[in-house]
Amino acid sequence: MSIAAPAAYAGLSKYDPLGRILCFDRFDSTTHGWTELIGNYNGQGDLGTVDDHMRDFRPPQLSSCSFFDVGTHGTLSGNYALKLATRAYRGHTATGIRRLTMAGRGRVRIETYFAFKAEATVGHELPASVAWDGNRHPSESQFGAFTVATDICADNGVRYHNVIRYQNTNLDGEMTQRWMYPVVPEPTPRDHQEGKFALPYAADFTAPDPDDWRYFDEPLEMCVNEVPTKINWHYLRWDIDTSTRSNVELRLNDRVMDMSDVPVPIYPDRYSTLDNLLNFYFSVRTHANIRNFLFLDSVLISVDW
Amino acid sequence: MRSTMTAVLERAALVTDELATEPYELPWAQEARFFVQAHELTGTLELTTEISPDGLTWCPADVPVLRAETPGMTSWLVTGFGQWLRVRCRVSGDPGAAARLRIYLVGKS
Repeated sequence: MSIAAPAAYAGLSKYDPLGRILCFDRFDSTTHGWTELIGNYNGQGDLGTVDDHMRDFRPPQLSSCSFFDVGTHGTLSGNYALKLATRAYRGHTATGIRRLTMAGRGRVRIETYFAFKAEATVGHELPASVAWDGNRHPSESQFGAFTVATDICADNGVRYHNVIRYQNTNLDGEMTQRWMYPVVPEPTPRDHQEGKFALPYAADFTAPDPDDWRYFDEPLEMCVNEVPTKINWHYLRWDIDTSTRSNVELRLNDRVMDMSDVPVPIYPDRYSTLDNLLNFYFSVRTHANIRNFLFLDSVLISVDW
Repeated sequence: MRSTMTAVLERAALVTDELATEPYELPWAQEARFFVQAHELTGTLELTTEISPDGLTWCPADVPVLRAETPGMTSWLVTGFGQWLRVRCRVSGDPGAAARLRIYLVGKS
């Protein structure tokens, strides 16, 4: 798409899609298939059989990005953004997942304009590693992390997840501002069924052991803009390759990061009923007892096949 | 075509005294309907609809308080609300009174 795109494509011209667009989701009309993730349950519909750490990922919301101090903020493209909101519970994660399948193999690109915030504290304070100095604000250190990831399965049940996470703070609430990836595949309900693990509520479902995460690239400061009620939209573009089951490149505004050396662990065993699975999810995790939000203005997924 | 959207606010919440559901934003919806399904209930379940302009501060909506004393589904319509909705669920009665609740919120443009 050239810079001089016709005005009719104004919504699209802020993106950089590959040759075939699978979906272009603007949230002024419905959630466009971005739904809550829930763990698997038994054949009787008994939700009590869902793993504790996968039973409460919260339903996505369509938000006008309204706040106590300025009212309606609005979004980059229109009236509503897709909003993922955690509970005010340390470690809690909210998700939005989109479920597709693959009609080919090759380069896959997911792009979005997003913003992230901790909920405003009004009339009460919470612990924070950043003090208010007129420019910086405690809210900055009350946001934990957001994650963009896939769930892909093909070629006789080979399953894997490409994962990127922006860790704003560590679990102690100290600013880290680093990109991360896990070196193990996500624990699945079948793993639990087979007795391989049992994780508690609010465990990190993507990779529960903090030692199974690695940093990549240099620290990156985002534009959080001082207080918890200013929304500045960031551009994210991430390429993976399903023909080689690999990461390719991550772009965040003007920072381009080569990800070709970032590994993508596959499951040692094979999975059924998932042929050509191509899922994407966004998640947000709070590291303190405060709600964390991830706002998506719009999302575009494109491929080269 | 009108838009509609269903959120599952709670799946199997055990309430022994009081539970307020998480704030849920419905700025696009002209109307909303709660469905509270009590899978188990001993005592009295009292349901108060609450609204908020910012998701932080709440007041009762212009909706009567509803009560249930047996397991089953309770539903009611809410209109003219301001952006955020939640329901406050109170259980009272003999010691051991409790409710096991699944709660849906359906918005429609």
